[in-house]
Amino acid sequence: MSSTAMKKKVLLMGKSGSGKTSMRSIIFANYIARDTRRLGATIDVEHSHVRFLGNLVLNLWDCGGQDTFMENYFTSQRDNIFRNVEVLIYVFDVESRELEKDMHYYQSCLEAILQNSPDAKIFCLVHKMDLVQEDQRDLIFKEREEDLKRLSRPLACTCFRTSIWDETLYKAWSSIVYQLIPNVQQLECNLRNFAQIIEADEVLLFERATFLVISHYQCKEQRDAHRFEKISNIIKQFKLSCSKLAASFQSMEVRNSNFAAFIDVFTSNTYVMVIMSDPSIPSAATLINIRNARRHFEKLERVDGPKHSLHMRIR
Amino acid sequence: MDEDSKPLLGSVRAGEYYTDSLDPKQRRPFHVEPRNIVGDDAQERVSAEAAVLSSRVHYYGRLTASSDRLLVPPDHVIPSPEEIYIYSPLGTAFKVHGGDSTVKNPSIVTIFAIWNTMMGTSILSMPWGIKQAGFTLGIIIIVLMGLLTLYCCYRVLKSTKSIPYVDASDWEFPDVCKYYFGGFGKWSSLVFSLVSLIGAMVVYWVLMSNFLFNTGKFIYNYVHNVNTTDGFGTNGTDRVICPYPNLDPDGNRTLQYYASENSTGEVFDRWWSKTNTIPFYLIVLLLPLLNFRSASFFARFTFLGTLSVVYLIFLVTYKAIRLGFHLEFHWIDSSMFFVPEFRSLFPQLSGVLTLAFFIHNCIITLMKNNRHQENNVRDLSLAYLLVGLTYLYVGVLIFAAFPSPPLSKDCIEPNFLDNFPSSDVLVFVARTCLLFQMTTVYPLLGYLVRVQLMGQIFGDHYPGFLHVFILNIFVVGAGVLMARFYPNIGSIIRYSGAICGLALVFVLPSLIHMISLKRRGELRWPSIIFHSFLILLGVANLFGQFFM
Repeated sequence: MSSTAMKKKVLLMGKSGSGKTSMRSIIFANYIARDTRRLGATIDVEHSHVRFLGNLVLNLWDCGGQDTFMENYFTSQRDNIFRNVEVLIYVFDVESRELEKDMHYYQSCLEAILQNSPDAKIFCLVHKMDLVQEDQRDLIFKEREEDLKRLSRPLACTCFRTSIWDETLYKAWSSIVYQLIPNVQQLECNLRNFAQIIEADEVLLFERATFLVISHYQCKEQRDAHRFEKISNIIKQFKLSCSKLAASFQSMEVRNSNFAAFIDVFTSNTYVMVIMSDPSIPSAATLINIRNARRHFEKLERVDGPKHSLHMRIR
Repeated sequence: MDEDSKPLLGSVRAGEYYTDSLDPKQRRPFHVEPRNIVGDDAQERVSAEAAVLSSRVHYYGRLTASSDRLLVPPDHVIPSPEEIYIYSPLGTAFKVHGGDSTVKNPSIVTIFAIWNTMMGTSILSMPWGIKQAGFTLGIIIIVLMGLLTLYCCYRVLKSTKSIPYVDASDWEFPDVCKYYFGGFGKWSSLVFSLVSLIGAMVVYWVLMSNFLFNTGKFIYNYVHNVNTTDGFGTNGTDRVICPYPNLDPDGNRTLQYYASENSTGEVFDRWWSKTNTIPFYLIVLLLPLLNFRSASFFARFTFLGTLSVVYLIFLVTYKAIRLGFHLEFHWIDSSMFFVPEFRSLFPQLSGVLTLAFFIHNCIITLMKNNRHQENNVRDLSLAYLLVGLTYLYVGVLIFAAFPSPPLSKDCIEPNFLDNFPSSDVLVFVARTCLLFQMTTVYPLLGYLVRVQLMGQIFGDHYPGFLHVFILNIFVVGAGVLMARFYPNIGSIIRYSGAICGLALVFVLPSLIHMISLKRRGELRWPSIIFHSFLILLGVANLFGQFFM
């Protein structure tokens, strides 16, 4: 079986109660039913049906519940869990009192990764930072980051501090997704040319499943620094509404006397949002431009894309 | 699992992060008006943090069932009420207590709001101002200054409309100055705005000392049944007094200050002295109020100002009916009891009027909620007309009713209530009302000074208790010093009025209008001449204060 037909995994791991389910729900716009929230540790890996970036599947896994049970489970199922991992995202609860234990489990996971998927990218999220007083956040995060980087050797890990109540969660996941998009720098460069040619005020590139902003180009200062997160929230809410009707969101045009905005499918992994402040340019013109650009960008993604790009599935 | 996890290193909240409690009282409420991108309505300036939190709360609410508390914001992430909206100088501070501000106000409400905001303590100085300028010239100057300041106010209102390429719909006048003149514009409009505010605060301190003194004296005399005759005045039931009579009519015109209270007299007079002790007693009352973080509590009392003005109008009418008119027209020459109709001291009146008609730093915000924006100019003119009529009414009636045969018109005090003895009941009521009203406006003014100064220098409205406390000490100190050594509110008003009026009324609106016309290539000679003349008038107004 060729490796491209195998689904690559994104592991979202961390102690029980560290906020993984909420995080997944928020990033991927999944409804959390009340009774699916467990009060104890997960016994099994929670597979989610979320796919993103082509064919990556998100797996959620609790780490560090009842100790001896988990140790056994860890050793027997370990290879299964840690094979074919593209990304490991490990969530630490900043309030946890068992730092030693957390680090111990983290290291076990790293060992397993090193054995089974040595090319995996590692991200560490120090979560629930809103519970720490503002003037101490930088200090505490720096301490943790140093410890984690030291523990992770020889693997390299990237650390972020996050909280679901400020923009740090969105920015952290945007950075993670940015590093996973194949050819992202080239996409950015071409995005800039595209924006300048069609005379757009701003052009945004979103990841398809999560609507995290991967890249953007703006031709003048925008006042609202939080606009990416706000757009993401709005579209995800709209997607939730659509899914209730068993419909799926494809494209949107918003127009008034001051501006026109177009959101549409772009490449296999991305959506594009184009904002024109000259409302006299007819929609058809912009949509044609987007369609023509789409072909060009898809070629970009295809040419040097690494193995797991969607279109390379061999039948 | 840990049930009672003590947080590390000073966490804000422990253990309640994901609570299933359905008790609504445990959660702080949070609501922000959604931003309307379709209409052209002006909206409150919501802070960025509150806006994005609102977006998150809406989205997270869709991810769980409505009774599920998993993704409900904990109290410590919800901003405090004063961090939800951005307060621009003077204007939106009054929206703090208000309900629905996306509701547009009909014209009558806007006109009333402008009248209410403009009516300040200068109303007490109107008779004195007319006296300084002469009766006829005084009336002419009131009308002319009203028209002048109205035109400049109209220019301020229109200044945001002529900025191309930028959405200036929620800019205030200082923002416009910054756009045209850069940092210099920003700082100069800040400094001059502060002059007007601190000048008003000093006047308030002097007046509050005065009213508190008279109130205390009235109560003391009433309780102890003391019947003192303070000062030289008329006889009869409607007594009018002359606190500082010029007993040497042939001497030069400088007022001689007679000590009207014997400082070695009774114990009460020693401890309850208008200039020596009361300014200091007020510190105990007002300095703590200034240090409050938010002014929303005080903004509720703006209705007291209206009540006070209405009562003053009633009082003035009553006194005029009781005292009758005493007018004699001497055109240029002066007589013993009357003043000439045209006097060379008229710049003093124009200085007072500059502050009396001053609303230029917040008119844009006040007009934003007008339902029919096309009527803005008409409503502004009507408001100015009403204000002018009120000032004219009070000034003319008191001046005309001042009993001139026994007393000279020169006796009219900068605060006309000083011309009535402290035993007068109606005036006592006026003084008490005004005292109470000023106690509630003073912290509001202090808050505005703090917001403007701290906002510009530190970028934060409350950088720290020490900074705010030091600022308050300065402001209170200035008030106390003035009340102690130079309690002449007429002078304080005219100097601060002329200074801040120079920049914010005369120079900046005209300059900005000329520059915007020039940039559009529409600048013509008549416009240049007229607006330069306005600027010269402002400079002359300022010089007139010092040399006349």
